Amino acid sequence: MATGTRTGRSRFTLIFLLLSSATLLTLDARDFEPLQRTEETLADLISPLRSGADRLFGPVGDAWAGITGYDELKTENQMLRQELQELEGQKILDSDAVVRLESLLDELGLPYVQDIPNVVGEVVTANVGNFDRYSVQINRGSDDGIRNGMPVVTRGGLVGRIDGDPGRGHSRVTLLTDPGFEVGVLAVGTDDVALASGGGHGEPLMVARGLEIDTEVALGHEVVTSGVDRSRYPPGIPVGTVTGIDFDEARLLQLLTVAPSADTDSLSFVTVLLYDPLAEET
Amino acid sequence: MTAATAYLRSALFLFTALILHLALFSDLRVLGVAPEVPLAIAVTAGLVGGPERGATAGFAIGLGIDLYLPTLFGLSALIYTVWGYAVGLVEVRIFRSAWWINVLITAAATAGGLLVYAVLGELLGEANLYTDRLYRVMGVSAVANMVLSLPLLGLWRWSWPRHLGEER
Repeated sequence: MATGTRTGRSRFTLIFLLLSSATLLTLDARDFEPLQRTEETLADLISPLRSGADRLFGPVGDAWAGITGYDELKTENQMLRQELQELEGQKILDSDAVVRLESLLDELGLPYVQDIPNVVGEVVTANVGNFDRYSVQINRGSDDGIRNGMPVVTRGGLVGRIDGDPGRGHSRVTLLTDPGFEVGVLAVGTDDVALASGGGHGEPLMVARGLEIDTEVALGHEVVTSGVDRSRYPPGIPVGTVTGIDFDEARLLQLLTVAPSADTDSLSFVTVLLYDPLAEET
Repeated sequence: MTAATAYLRSALFLFTALILHLALFSDLRVLGVAPEVPLAIAVTAGLVGGPERGATAGFAIGLGIDLYLPTLFGLSALIYTVWGYAVGLVEVRIFRSAWWINVLITAAATAGGLLVYAVLGELLGEANLYTDRLYRVMGVSAVANMVLSLPLLGLWRWSWPRHLGEER
């Protein structure tokens, strides 16, 4: 009898919890605002404890990464040394390239990103789970003026955008490597606005739409955000460099692969551009 | 120990596990894969406390981790609830637990739970869950959770001693 009662109770509990989960899923899928606010408040409440734990256990995680990724680090170190030597030798060429890029941006009438108000945030968590390799959390939120969709950059260029409504003191950044990420771009020196999309972790971006077959694009060309018509990204943010060109003869389009200019694997600090395309228009 | 103390201990355990997962375990990656501590929590709760406590613990830790995942809020809670309950049923009805069986169940349940998570998530419109990488995630997480299962089982027994009544 007692066992039967317990079984009945456990079934009731299961059904209750399943219905609760299903309700939450439905409300979240419909962007039910009170639920989202509750989520943000709860995350904000946990945030200080989590930050403390992050500081406490950060060295452990770093040490673990050092141990498990020793060979990788060694290879990376060697590559960086080699790159440094090459860079030293090509200082003059590099400065020429910068001047060229700046002059091209001037010609296109692209304003500098530095003029846009911005907020620097620290990456507090990258990849909490095993399935979210395309997002990171930063310690800035709506209290700092951050809103859904704002572009996120580093010195290297575009790294992603704010995804969803931020909490008061934290927000989520979707990285540009996310296969669902899309951004309007143009190759510097051309007029064709094309659409670049994320190619996945460690893969280049793909430009498969918008670039006509007769547009002159060469390997190594810089690609920047186009900033056209209410684009959520201001113009002129470096996105990457063209590393591959293919042709779609049927659609008369060029297909580009673009190596992102910003490293999204080891983000520590990022800059959120407080850019509102509608406000810019007015 | 009273039931109230046991509830308090369980809540403390769940909260600490969530914080530790966010701050520590999510960084301890092997082949780019972190242990799925929340799933291990749900499974071991089912193993120690039976279906009801497995489901409740799974729901609670699932909601906690859902706050930090880009997927739909409630998805982890839903799957961990079912998984905690199912493992509790298996444990009660079939095995009645040698320690090594519990460890193996945790590993198998972790791999199965991740597969269900990916499939259900994709069905609900989430991208990038069912990918080529999924099987590696399942394998590594299963081994990692197998290692974690013994301390977690011990902590659940501390949170809810047998004399307070179980469902078996």
